[in-house]
Amino acid sequence: MTYSVHVPPPLERSIVLRLAFLAALSVLLLGALLARLWFLQVLAGDRFAELADSNRLRTVVSQAPRGHILASDGREIVINRPALALTAERQLLVDAAGQPRDASAARTVRRLSDLLGIDEQTLLRRIGDVRYSPFRPVPVAVDVSAETVLTVRQNQELFVGISAETIPVRDYPEGDLAAHLVGYLGQISRDELAEVAFADYRGGDLIGRGGLEQSYESELRGRGGQEVFVVNRRGSVIDVQSRRQPQPGLDLITWLDLDVQRAAEVALAEGIVASRSIRRPDGRTLPSTAGSAIVMDARTGGIVAMASYPTYDPTEFVGGVSADYWAFVNDPAQGQPLNNRPITGQYPPGSVYKTVTGAAMLEAGLVTPTTRVRCPGSYTAGGVTFRNWNSADEGPMDLATALKRSCDTYFYDLAFRQWQVEQRSETPDEIVQRISREFGLGAPLGIDLPGERAGVVPGREWRLEFWLRYREGYCERAARAEPGTFGYELLTDLCRFGGVWRGGDAINMSIGQGDVLTTPLQVLASYQAIANDGVLLRPSVGRELRSADGALVRTIEPEVLSVLSLSPDELRAMQRGLERAVMEPGGTAVGAFSGFPLRDIPVAGKTGTAERKPRVPYAWFAAYAPADDPRYVVVVSVEEGGGGSQTAAPIARRILEHLFDVAAPGGPGFTPGPEILD
Amino acid sequence: MSSGRSLGVNAGRIPASPGRARLSRVLELLAPLRDIDPIVLGASLALTGIGMVAVYSAKLATLTAQGLPTTYFLNRQLLAGGIGLVLMLAATVYDYRRLRSFIPLGYVTTLLLLVLVLTPLGTSVRGSQRWIALFGVQIQPSELMKIALLLGLAMLFNETEGTPGFGRTSIALVLAIIPLGLVFAQPDLGTSMVYLWLTGVVLLVSGVRVRFLLMLAMAGGAAFFLALRTEVIRDYQLQRLTVFLGADAPDADFAGALFQTRQSMIAIGSGGTYGRGLFEGTQTALAYVPDNHTDFIFTVVGEELGFVGAATVLGLFALLLWRAISIAAQAVDRDAMIIAAGVGGILLLQVFVNVGMTLGIMPVTGLPLPYLSYGGTSLISWLVMTGLLLNVHQRRR
Repeated sequence: MTYSVHVPPPLERSIVLRLAFLAALSVLLLGALLARLWFLQVLAGDRFAELADSNRLRTVVSQAPRGHILASDGREIVINRPALALTAERQLLVDAAGQPRDASAARTVRRLSDLLGIDEQTLLRRIGDVRYSPFRPVPVAVDVSAETVLTVRQNQELFVGISAETIPVRDYPEGDLAAHLVGYLGQISRDELAEVAFADYRGGDLIGRGGLEQSYESELRGRGGQEVFVVNRRGSVIDVQSRRQPQPGLDLITWLDLDVQRAAEVALAEGIVASRSIRRPDGRTLPSTAGSAIVMDARTGGIVAMASYPTYDPTEFVGGVSADYWAFVNDPAQGQPLNNRPITGQYPPGSVYKTVTGAAMLEAGLVTPTTRVRCPGSYTAGGVTFRNWNSADEGPMDLATALKRSCDTYFYDLAFRQWQVEQRSETPDEIVQRISREFGLGAPLGIDLPGERAGVVPGREWRLEFWLRYREGYCERAARAEPGTFGYELLTDLCRFGGVWRGGDAINMSIGQGDVLTTPLQVLASYQAIANDGVLLRPSVGRELRSADGALVRTIEPEVLSVLSLSPDELRAMQRGLERAVMEPGGTAVGAFSGFPLRDIPVAGKTGTAERKPRVPYAWFAAYAPADDPRYVVVVSVEEGGGGSQTAAPIARRILEHLFDVAAPGGPGFTPGPEILD
Repeated sequence: MSSGRSLGVNAGRIPASPGRARLSRVLELLAPLRDIDPIVLGASLALTGIGMVAVYSAKLATLTAQGLPTTYFLNRQLLAGGIGLVLMLAATVYDYRRLRSFIPLGYVTTLLLLVLVLTPLGTSVRGSQRWIALFGVQIQPSELMKIALLLGLAMLFNETEGTPGFGRTSIALVLAIIPLGLVFAQPDLGTSMVYLWLTGVVLLVSGVRVRFLLMLAMAGGAAFFLALRTEVIRDYQLQRLTVFLGADAPDADFAGALFQTRQSMIAIGSGGTYGRGLFEGTQTALAYVPDNHTDFIFTVVGEELGFVGAATVLGLFALLLWRAISIAAQAVDRDAMIIAAGVGGILLLQVFVNVGMTLGIMPVTGLPLPYLSYGGTSLISWLVMTGLLLNVHQRRR
């Protein structure tokens, strides 16, 4: 019941020290934990909270149905249709290097290759395409047959990771009609994905390439649906956090008239092909390599039809273009059919530019509508002789007659005199250049199509810059040339004085030659301005945007680009000149319109034959009708198509026949015009 | 407080009579309860309670999703806690001085169990053989061995006056190395390190010369180096020891050795200052942190209770450590002092290694967090060690 009283020995001092050491170690280690805890939770807590969210949330997007593209009367140009497609689960089939992840995946790919008739490497490349989101099945074959789908479904164990889906693809009820205007869809590239503008795109998304599909991308695309899932560590879906329904894209209603479009395409293609059998004076036939035809609503700037030859088939791009077809459309020997020449082709305008020169001379005050200027067979300035297309002297004439006869020497004389006036000024007002811009030349017009070119309006400044850039080349070649030859003289002159805008330059420019370049659309716009009482409108293919249920969302209003600085009298004189060129005996386009009911449907127009040595001249014809109350403006240009009255005017006539429902006298088809070289 | 008070006062107060004599014996047996250290008891029970809630939360969503009873793990832990409390009471009231005679038997029995674990009788989980079924209950002898080794070493050094010599130190090393080797063979690198650390702490507080301790440390370092060269330490163990340093790297290998550490840091970090709320942690609910009811239980506390909760848990451990070292300093006997310091030493190592592992500053080694981690043997061991602390406290100077 009792214990001996235990007297403990006192704890040695060293032991106390050692316990103190243990205590100090405890403070140190727990302090370290607390500090780390503070860092992770209090200082870096927000970042880790984000990481926790990115752990648990998976976003799955669904594409919105893309908007349709419709003609002005509501007919369908581009719509969507459901297509059967086989898709592959990438993770199940390929590794990070794009190779089959195991033997069974390799067998699946081999079976799929046999089934589809696509070689294994191509299949693997499609399955491993990193442009597709890893969370979405990758389409490997679009538009497969129902039998193929059934084969996969019935033998699903042989096709692990392959499934059949119905996906919307672009459909073109009118085939390749208006192909250049419509454009096509392609997968977004990796470079584009990195750009801010494409922030809401994901790998594998389709994006408009070329044409309206590209320029109205944001409207047509709509907004994709998005579902956010909560997943666990194994990726199983636990819950749905949010869900947003896809918002379909807007439908684009254009100004296009499909009948006119078809007529323009047919007239252009047939005219070009037929013109290739026309023999030139040297015995060779016309090359007529390519061409453009545009029809515009004169009062709104709306594009009614726009044809480019050669063309391509946009259906070839549905579900991914084949390598063969891609090579074909990019082949220069095929005329690069993807080029939409009405807006990308830049040619010397030749005589269709004389309206601009004429307006400039009126503006300069060198002539009035009634002033008469001589029209000799040739004109000499600064020791150089410039010839008219007609060697006979046609005597004095006013501006309207000069346009009707397309008299070169009339414009040579005025342009040279204007050049002399400008030379006397320190800061010359370059009137031809200024008026050119008023007519919409020298800069893109801003049509709602991608790839529009600016053309060139040369002048003193342009000449100097151009020369500074290329002077070295001229001087080198001059040094190598044989002294005394023409080449030597020319190159030496260019080397020394090439930066000077000379009288000869002004003379060449006055008839749309020299360095001036225009697109067919620009020529069209310049004639639209004349037809529309001097008001230049921005050309537009799109007319309005409607939601999928048909409600109007936005009207694309006509936009005034400039108002010509011509008085009504002056404008009327120009219009008279264009009317007489088509309708009065002696006009350059009279031959091409023989038999056309001009009494009912008066036509105003201008031919052009642009030299681009050593090539065969480029043929132009610009017109509007009815001349007394213009509804349509039409421009046709044919590369290396010979004379404007010979090739371009007959094509434009056929388009006008269709526009005004006129029966062609010789039946439908291309009838070459008279061989006048302007 | 005089050293004799707790033993003598009651005896004097109660008059001798047959009935009262029996009562007085019972009262005398319970007398020490009146002198319980409230901080040790309170902190350990609070940690156990937090552990129960955390274990419940850790598996709540997973068990719900699988349609299993959500209290499955909690109930088992509660059972272990109940057994642990009874054994803690016993460890508290049974005078440690009377315990001395059972120590050799206890040590040898536990050693035997460790051997049995390695025979086909043992249970293997994920390539590591740590458990054995006794009377239908899975126990982990390596946890019990911590106590057995501590008591064995305490007994060994009890008799020494002044500085223990080479002989006793050598025996102490032998006592430690046998279980260390058995546990290492399971393999359980973490627990074998606990034994090594425990032995070091005991040698330190029992007064072994510093010179000698340094020599031992160097020998240990050499042995470790040799182990690396001879590939006694397996590749994955070495990898775990080294890769955690790169857990912050953006290109960290998610699927590989870093996954657990990274997910653990995300869980704790996302808790922020006040936590996401109890049962609201997404990392916990969606099972992003593997083993979050056992070794990674601290992630549940960190994510759901935030810095406030996690720091509270660390604070409770700090209180326990402070008490353990104070109790050691006040101990009457050399072995009592060693027991108290040893319990503190194990606590310090396990808390630092385990919490450090979840915070990404220590390698991933399979050490449970004292009191909190799911695992019956671990919880019972810690409650028993708490009892030992209380025991020594009652019989202090």
